[in-house]
Amino acid sequence: MPTFDPSSERALLDDLRAVLGSNKVLAGPSARKAYDCDAYTVDKSEPLAVVLPESTTDVQTIVRWCLAHGVPYTPRGAGTGLSGGTLPALGGLVVSTKKMTRILEVDLDNRCLLAQSGAVNKRLSEAVAHAGLHFAPDPSSQTVSTLGGNIAENSGGPHTLKYGVTVQHVLKVTMVDPLGEIVTIGSRTENLPGYDFLSLIVGGEGTLGIVTEAWVKLTPNPVKVETVLASFPRVRDATQTVADIIAEGTIPAALEMMDRGIMKAVSLAFGLKYPPDAEALLLIECDGAPETVAAEMDTVTRLCRANGSLELNVAQNEAERLKLWTARKKGIGAMGRLAPSIVTQDGVIPRSKLPEMLDFIAEVARDAGVGIANIFHAGDGNLHPCFYFDDRDPDQVRAVVAGGDRILQKCLDLGGSLSGEHGIGVEKLDLMETMFGKEGLVIQADAKRVFNESPLCNPCKVLPNQKSCVEHRRRWRGAAW
Amino acid sequence: MESLSDLASHCIRCGFCLESCPTFMVTGKETESPRGRIYLVRSALEGRLVWEDHVRPHLDACLGCRACETACPSAVQYGRILETARGRLETARPHRARKGLLDTMVRPGLMRGQLALGGLLPGRRLPVLLSRLLSGERPEADKPAAQGASGWAPLDETKLPEVRGEVYLLEGCAMRVLFPRVHEATRRLLRRAGYVVRETSQGCCGALHAHNGHLDEARRLGGVLAESLPDDLPVVVNSAGCGSTMKEYGHLDPENEAMVGIAARTADVSEFLLRAGLTDVLANSQGLASKSATYHDACHLAHGQGVRSAPRELLSAVPGLCVRPLPESDTCCGSAGIYNVTQPKLARALLERKWEHVEATGADFVVLGNPGCHAWIAQAARERGGNVRVFHTAELLEAAFSGLPS
Repeated sequence: MPTFDPSSERALLDDLRAVLGSNKVLAGPSARKAYDCDAYTVDKSEPLAVVLPESTTDVQTIVRWCLAHGVPYTPRGAGTGLSGGTLPALGGLVVSTKKMTRILEVDLDNRCLLAQSGAVNKRLSEAVAHAGLHFAPDPSSQTVSTLGGNIAENSGGPHTLKYGVTVQHVLKVTMVDPLGEIVTIGSRTENLPGYDFLSLIVGGEGTLGIVTEAWVKLTPNPVKVETVLASFPRVRDATQTVADIIAEGTIPAALEMMDRGIMKAVSLAFGLKYPPDAEALLLIECDGAPETVAAEMDTVTRLCRANGSLELNVAQNEAERLKLWTARKKGIGAMGRLAPSIVTQDGVIPRSKLPEMLDFIAEVARDAGVGIANIFHAGDGNLHPCFYFDDRDPDQVRAVVAGGDRILQKCLDLGGSLSGEHGIGVEKLDLMETMFGKEGLVIQADAKRVFNESPLCNPCKVLPNQKSCVEHRRRWRGAAW
Repeated sequence: MESLSDLASHCIRCGFCLESCPTFMVTGKETESPRGRIYLVRSALEGRLVWEDHVRPHLDACLGCRACETACPSAVQYGRILETARGRLETARPHRARKGLLDTMVRPGLMRGQLALGGLLPGRRLPVLLSRLLSGERPEADKPAAQGASGWAPLDETKLPEVRGEVYLLEGCAMRVLFPRVHEATRRLLRRAGYVVRETSQGCCGALHAHNGHLDEARRLGGVLAESLPDDLPVVVNSAGCGSTMKEYGHLDPENEAMVGIAARTADVSEFLLRAGLTDVLANSQGLASKSATYHDACHLAHGQGVRSAPRELLSAVPGLCVRPLPESDTCCGSAGIYNVTQPKLARALLERKWEHVEATGADFVVLGNPGCHAWIAQAARERGGNVRVFHTAELLEAAFSGLPS
C-alpha cells in the first residue's frame, strides 16, 4: 500500500478534486482548523481536507481514493461526540455526512424508515409524528446529532432505560467497508439467524466502515406520559430513591439525576427556580397504558417522599413537561454559563454504588481544583460527571484529564464500565486494557479484522496501541495544552 | 466591556446551534456554522489563523440572524462576537465598496437620488458591475423600489378614542424612503390605540453599521439619534433590525446615558400595540373575511428581541383572518440587511427555501416585521407570479380597518 506523503499535499488535493468534484472538497487552513476536534476539545488534530459526499457511491469513491493514496480517513456527522471519535488522529480526510441528510423511504405499515446517515435524529421523529411514531434513541444532542453518529456511538438517552439504545432500533445498514466495497448488513425483518454483525457495526465508532444509509425501527408514541421533578436536600437521598424505585421492580421510561452544579447552570440559562436547599434533582417519567402509568407514578412519588423529597413537581400538561425536561436536555450545554470548557465523562456503575461514587467524584473535583457538575441516567447507573474549567490554562486541562482517569478507574473498581454511550474514541484509550485485559483486547482486535485490515479507516480509536498511533498521540495530545 | 476572547470562550462546542444556522443547513459545512465561526475567531485570537485570509470569508458569509443565540444553552452572545470581530476586520482593512453602500443607505436624500438614477438603468436587477464590486458574484437582488400610496382615506377623528399619550416613531433611513406605507399604517394604528406620534427630525439608528462591524460609526449615529429623542416617551420601531440594535444600545455604548435610556424605551410596533390593547379595537374592525395569512419571523424580532407571539396575537385578533403556521418560520430568508447584495448565492438559496414553505401554506398573505425581509420576499412573490401578497404586520392590521392597500 502506498503511504501518505504530506509534502505532496497540493497534488493530492488536485487529484481528489478531479475525482470527486471540487464542490465536495473543503481545504485550506480554516477548514482544517474547524474540523480538528468535535465536542471533546482536549485532543486536536487537523485533517488534510474535508470531503462532503452526497451519496453512497461518493463515499465509495472517497474510500477507494484513500486506499490508492494511503490517506487515512475519519467519518464525521454533526461533530457532537464527547470522546473524540471524529478526531482525524493521523490527519488525512474527514468524511462529513452533512450533505447526506435525506429520509429516503418511510414504511408506516411495518414501522420503519430508511434515511441517509447524515439525517438529524430529531428529523426522523418529526417525519413520522403525524402517524404517532418516533425514533426512540434520544441523546441530549438529538436536535443536531446524526443517525450515522448515533449508530457509530450506539447512542443512548434518557428513555433508553425502558426503550433500549440505538442497536435495538437499527434493522439494516448500508456501508462502505475499509476495502471500498458497498455492503449491506442486517434485514428489514428482525431476528436474523447467524452471527450478528450489525451489533458490531452499531457502536463500532466508525472504525469498521462508513455507514451511509440505515433502516431504523419506529416506536409508537406512548398513550399516556407522566413526568415528575423531585428535589432532595442531599445527593444520597436522591440516589437512595433511585435504588428503591428499581428494587421495587418499577422501570420508569426515564430516571435522571442532576446535582447542584447543573441546577446553577440551568437557573442562569433559563431562569428555572429550584428550592434553595435542594442538592439534587430526580426527573422521573412513566409512560404506557393509563392505569400502568398511574400505578407507577404512585410508587415513584411515594418513594420520593419516603426519602425526604423537598418538592414534587408533576407536569400538568405538555408545555410543563417540556419545561421540566429543559434542565436535563440542555443541562450540559448550559455549562458554558459556569466556565469556558467542559469534559463530560461517561462511566457506568452498578446502581447500588451511586452514593459511594458521587462522594468519590466530589473528592476528585476538590483534588483537581476544578468544578464538577453531575447529570446522569441514574436508572441505568450511567454517570455523566461534567468537569468545567478554562482550557486556555494548560494546568487545568492536565488536572481534568487526570481526574477523569481517576473517576473511570473507580468505575472499573466498582465493577462498572468506561462508557455507557459516549464511546471510547481517543479519550479513554488508556483504560481499555484495564477494563478488558490483554486477552480481551486481542479478541476485539480479531473482531475488527473481519471488516478492517486497513490502518486507514478511522485509525487510533477504540483499541489502544495501534500501529503508528502511539508516536502520533503525543502530537494531538499536545495540541490543546 | 467583555473582550472578544471572553465572549468567545463561553462556547463549549456542544454543537446545539448547528441545525438552527441557515448557512450550515444549506452548506453542511462546519466553517459556515456558529460553532465553527466562533472557533475560527478563537483560533485567530490565539494566532493560529490569519484574520483577513482565514476568518473573514466565513464571517462575511454569516447572515447575522442570531438564530444560534436562541438555540444556545450557554447563552453565547454570538451577535456581539460577530459585530466585534467584524469591527476588528473593518478597522484593519475596510471593505470600501460595502462601507460606501451602507453610507448611502443611511442618507435618505442620497438614497432617493440613487433610486431615481437606478430607474434609468435597464433591467430589474442591481447593476452587474456594482454586484461584482460588492460580492464578486452576479446580482440576485432587484433594484430597490419605493412602495406606492396606500389609497386609504384619512382617519375620521370622530370615531377614534381620546388621545392618551405620545410616542416617538423611528422613521429610519431605508424605511422612510422605501416603505412609506408601513409608516402610514403604523401611525394610523397607534392613533386607533389612543397614541399620537411626536414628530422630530431624526437620522439613522446605526443598526446596519453595527451589524457589519462599523461600531464607531454606529455609536456616532446612535448618539445623534438619542439626542433627537430627548423626552421620556416610548420609541416605537417597525423595523426589526433597528429595534434590535436600539434595545442593545447599552452594549454598544454603555457610557452614553441617552443611548442607554433609549434602549429601555424601545418597543417593536407589535409589542407596543398589543400592550396598548389593539386586539380589542381589532375585534370591532371590518376584518379580512375569508382571507388567510402566514407569519414569517424576522430574525431580529424572533432571535434578536424575542418577539414572537405579539404579532401572531394581533393577527389572530383580525376578524375573519385565518393565521396559518409557517414551517421554519424563524429561519432567515437570506435578506439579512445587505447580505443579499454581498452574498447573492447563499441569499438566493435561502429565499427559495423560504418561498417553498410560504407557498405550501396556501396563504393569501405573508406577513413580517422588517424592511429587508419585506423587499426580498416580495421579490420572490413577483418572480413566482402567484397571488401571494407580502405585507408588514402593521399594513395588514390597518387593512382590517381600511381595506387592503391598492
